[in-house]
Order: sequence, then structure tokens, then C-alpha cells
Amino acid sequence: MHELSMAQGIINAVLDTAEANNATEVNEVTVEVGRLAMINPEQLQFILGVLIENTIMEDAEINFEEIPAEIKCYDCDFNGEAILDDKDHYAPMVKCPKCDSLNVETLNGKDIVVKNIVIEKPDDA
Amino acid sequence: MHQIADVEVAKNIMDANKKLAHKNLHKLEDNGIFCVDFVGAIGSGKTTLVEEIIDNTDYKIGVLAGDVISKFDAGRIEKHNVPVVGLNTGKECHLDAHLVGHGLADLPLDDLDMVIIENVGNLICPVDFELGSHLRIVVVSVTEGDDTVEKHPIIFQTSDVVVINKVDLADAVGADADKMVCDAQKLNPNVKVIKSSLKEGIGLDEIIAAIEEAMNS
Ligand SMILES: Nc1nc2c(ncn2[C@@H]2O[C@H](COP(=O)(O)OP(=O)(O)OP(=O)(O)O)[C@@H](O)[C@H]2O)c(=O)[nH]1
Ligand SMILES: [Zn+2]
Ligand SMILES: [Zn+2]
Ligand SMILES: [Zn+2]
Ligand SMILES: [Zn+2]
Repeated sequence: MHELSMAQGIINAVLDTAEANNATEVNEVTVEVGRLAMINPEQLQFILGVLIENTIMEDAEINFEEIPAEIKCYDCDFNGEAILDDKDHYAPMVKCPKCDSLNVETLNGKDIVVKNIVIEKPDDA
Repeated sequence: MHQIADVEVAKNIMDANKKLAHKNLHKLEDNGIFCVDFVGAIGSGKTTLVEEIIDNTDYKIGVLAGDVISKFDAGRIEKHNVPVVGLNTGKECHLDAHLVGHGLADLPLDDLDMVIIENVGNLICPVDFELGSHLRIVVVSVTEGDDTVEKHPIIFQTSDVVVINKVDLADAVGADADKMVCDAQKLNPNVKVIKSSLKEGIGLDEIIAAIEEAMNS
């Protein structure tokens, strides 16, 4: 259930930025979730919904963007997006799409990044 | 009147933990300490393994024992006369670098050669949280079922050593330990896989050798 600590991290990042920009309200939040982060966006969405009550992001629409896994293959030098075995959607296996090798280094796809927010602020701020 | 603004945040939620993990690693290295962290399923034998390593090597070891309620494992390890700090996660399902940082502050680092961290029993969440160790060992036992490895690929892909424990019970629970070994090697061709029965003293020497190999490389 570490969606809880992730949610708190996301909210802090949003509120810090919102306050620094004199926001009166946050309308939209976009979060990138790496395909290899051990996070279930649905659970994250649910917990965020609970935690944002009574904050200026209470009514914000929260969008998740999936970030693909990028790998480097040690067997065939492939560099790019990995095929993920989707049988366990949030615990995928990372494989080289070119030669099927599992001897790969993960370059991208583990992070959770708050990308941007849409805010409302007074005209004179 | 109000205006609408699109503001870039670009904040990586994982970075805070990563930074603290690097800080932990530097602190350990400044003190010449090698750090191993054990992850693995609940009840797979992590604490038993820590106890065996303490009793069967001459290293000056300090232990950080993570648990939802930390007093249980910490209490067991204390009996082996080594410094131990229990890290209470409360509700969380994994240790993070921040908690480990607090734990390190409570260990006598000047007087240690090795720190062992025992994570909360969980094959999923610890993957997302580096702690700052040099070597990660995942411990599973045959009693979780011989499909445990293939069902949790990422923790096996991100660990350096895999211990398949309780092989003494394999027949009793109808588990094929060799299948687990193959699954781990398939998932992570670079990983070292060791079958053990800590109860019967099998595999312990190999596990210690794997730690020493990493220490000296
Ligand atoms: N039969 C058998 N039992 C074992 C072996 N290794 C450990 N055990 C037993 O398995 C039980 C759980 O071992 P622990 O070392 O407490 O497991 P753990 O992984 O630390 O458990 P948590 O911290 O609760 O996740 C204990 O009763 C151990 O004595 C083994 O190789 N064979
Ligand atoms: Zn969890
Ligand atoms: Zn390849
Ligand atoms: Zn334990
Ligand atoms: Zn603190």
C-alpha cells in the first residue's frame, strides 16, 4: 500500500507549486507513472481523492500518463522501448523486443513524476 | 477576475528517496562499511539468515530490522549481542531511505564493518525504494509455492542474489526448488541463485561467500 506515501508526495509537489504561483485553485494535475513503478494507478487515484479533500486541489482533475519502459539490451545492443509481459499488469517482466533477452538494463520507466498543473489565480498576482 | 495558468512542476516523486539512498551509501562508505539488504516474502527466513550470518562470521555487524512492528525481529537479533535498531514502518509495506537514514544514525558506525538491513516481508513494494546498500539479496522459501519467483519478476530482476530457502520442506509442500532456481536465472541472467536450508545449515557458506565476493569487488 505504498500508494499512500506516493499520493502524499504528489500532493505536496502540487500544493508547493500552486502556492508558489499564488493559485486559488488547482484545476488539473498531470502525473506520469512509469510502467515499472510498482504502483496501481487506480489505487493511487482513490487515495489521492481522499487526501485532497479540503485543499485547493479538491476539485482537480487528475490525469495519469503512462511512461513506457526503456531498456538497453546487453545481448543485441537494442536501445528503446521494452515489451512488457502484461499477464501481471503492474508487475511486468522486462524483455528485449529484438532478441527476447532478459539481460537488459532499465533506462526509464521506474519513476513517478508530477509533470504540470493547471491553476486559477487572481489577475493581479 | 481570475486567470488560468499552466504551470510546469516536473517533480519526480522517486527522487527524494533516491537522494537519501545516496546519502546513506556515502555515510556507510565514509565509515568503510559494506551494506547488504535482505528483501523477501513474509516468513521466508530473512531474520534466521541474519542470525546465522552474525553467528558464523567474524564481521562486526550492525542490523536495521524493519517491520510493521519492529520489536519482534529486533528482539531476536539483540540476543546475538550485536547493535540492532528496529525500524517501525507503522502501516507502510516497505522500508525507505529516510527510515534507514534514521537507523544508521543510531548505529555505532565507527565500530562496524557491515550493516545488514532486513526489509519488511514483501516481494512487491520494496522494489520502488533504494536504501543505499551495496548488495540486495532476495529470500524466498519453497513453502510460498514454487511459482513465487515467476509471479514477482521485478524484485528478482533487481536483486543481486536469490536465496531459495527451506529446501528441507520442498517434498512436504510439493514444491520444485529447481524450478524456482531456473525461473530466477531466466528472469535475471546475472543473478546468483543459492538453494538453502538454514534449518539444516545448507547453503549458508555459499551465501556468505556471495556477500564476500561482492565486498571484495
Ligand atoms: N524448515 C525450515 N524452517 C526454516 C528455515 N529457515 C527459517 N525457518 C523457519 O521459518 C520461520 C520464519 O523465519 P524468519 O527468519 O522469522 O522469517 P522472516 O523472513 O524473517 O519473517 P518476517 O520478518 O516475518 O517476514 C521460523 O520459524 C524459522 O525458524 C529452513 O531452512 N527450513
Ligand atoms: Zn505496498
Ligand atoms: Zn536484445
Ligand atoms: Zn524477519
Ligand atoms: Zn526524519
